[in-house]
Amino acid sequence: MSWRPSAAYSMLKARASLVAGLRQFLSGRGSLEVDVPTISAAPASDIWIDSFEIRDPDGQPQGYLLSSPETYLKRLLAVYAEPMHALVKAYRANEHGLKHATEFTMLEWYRPANKDVFAAMVQDISDLVVLFTAFGAPRVVTYRELFEAQFGLNPHTVTLPELTDCAISALGPGAIDSQNLDSMLSILFATDIEPHLANHIVIDFPVVQASLSRVETDSFGDLVAKRAELYLLGIEIANGYYELTDVDEQQLRFINDEGRRIEFRRPMVPRDEPLLQALRHGLPESYGVALGVDRLLMVITGNQRLAKCMTFGEVR
Amino acid sequence: MASISTSGFKSGLKVLIDGDPCSIVENEFVKPGKGQAFSRVKVKNLKTGRVVDKTYKSGDSLEAADVIDLDMDFLYADGEFYHFMMTDGSFEQYAADANAVGDVLKWLKEQETYIVTLFNGAPLVVTPPNHIELQVQQTDPGIKGDTAQGGSKPATLSTGAVVSVPLFIEEGEMLRVDTRSGDYVSRAGKK
Repeated sequence: MSWRPSAAYSMLKARASLVAGLRQFLSGRGSLEVDVPTISAAPASDIWIDSFEIRDPDGQPQGYLLSSPETYLKRLLAVYAEPMHALVKAYRANEHGLKHATEFTMLEWYRPANKDVFAAMVQDISDLVVLFTAFGAPRVVTYRELFEAQFGLNPHTVTLPELTDCAISALGPGAIDSQNLDSMLSILFATDIEPHLANHIVIDFPVVQASLSRVETDSFGDLVAKRAELYLLGIEIANGYYELTDVDEQQLRFINDEGRRIEFRRPMVPRDEPLLQALRHGLPESYGVALGVDRLLMVITGNQRLAKCMTFGEVR
Repeated sequence: MASISTSGFKSGLKVLIDGDPCSIVENEFVKPGKGQAFSRVKVKNLKTGRVVDKTYKSGDSLEAADVIDLDMDFLYADGEFYHFMMTDGSFEQYAADANAVGDVLKWLKEQETYIVTLFNGAPLVVTPPNHIELQVQQTDPGIKGDTAQGGSKPATLSTGAVVSVPLFIEEGEMLRVDTRSGDYVSRAGKK
């Protein structure tokens, strides 16, 4: 591996200017930049996010490197109920690729809102695209529209056997073995839909992918997860949630994730009790958006390799 | 053979898929933010030459294929087998059958070095060098004055390959040919 930085000097300048611009974008909207730890006693509960566990020299567990500052920002939000953001390093084990790195830069912001929370979040993301790219306002589309147009199936009511048949015709026989609904939806979406999303905000995800977002009934009567995801040039850039504030529901999601971790033989992780306590104290109606800064830089600079947009990117 | 998990996938890796030796052409890590990770790979079946897309969950593994590429000189054909010899000085010889040689037959020239791919110790595929020098065995005389138009005519080479050549090429000349496209490249030094 080379000792040299992976980024060109022009990339370092583009990066510095983007970071300064993003900070200005948020502070201009009344958001306060806060400093949060990147280590926590409990990592994200999502079963497909692998967090690094930290140990001291004696081998004693010391917590986890965080995959996002979500838990700390929500705890701040529960106490101060003010718009806040953090620009942090986030860590995800086992993620290497042209668009993935185990350590990356994430900008995450939370904003309390009294009404039209979801619409305000979509507007925030849209404004960001207009300000920082040459693409103009993104098209807002539902997950349902995209999935139906591509595969002729309603993603909110589809069954695993139907998805398996669909995967066979889309990816070829034997291309993938049947597993779970969430993973089948993910792979079909990632393979046949994502690459076509040039400048889109996808909204209303299947409930199996709700994570920490709120679930509501859509105009067709199906339950959907109130998430909004930004794609530019086929790359996932940002992910916004109409945040779940119900502590009981949150606890159920954790229990559900724990069950899935057992089912899929994923390592068990401690439950994020401080987050539950914060929710019990009361989280304001709010939305939260996480943005991959390195990926946005890929799109802005027209670079195909994430590593080239990071100062010392992984070269594999 | 050893098992190789998705994190070890890289282009050029030889693996067994449904018992056939395959080479990974391209490997892409795919992972939605909160979703499961996959490896989308393009694999070339080394037996059939077909390239197919496969998707594996991260953590899945494939068995490594005992496949090795070796430089060998073509010695001779005995009517059934094509005999090659290692260029490393070991003088070790391998006999490839018509299946392994396949279309490369038309580029097969004695004393030339080829890449012979062995699967479980037996020749599986023979790959010619990208450029090869061959003699023109037969071609019709070009018409004088036509050279300016850059016209072309067919020429049969010593190995039986037929390539399109400029009109000024004559029988007996040595030509440099691109084996990938079958295109004439240039005249080579006379031998």
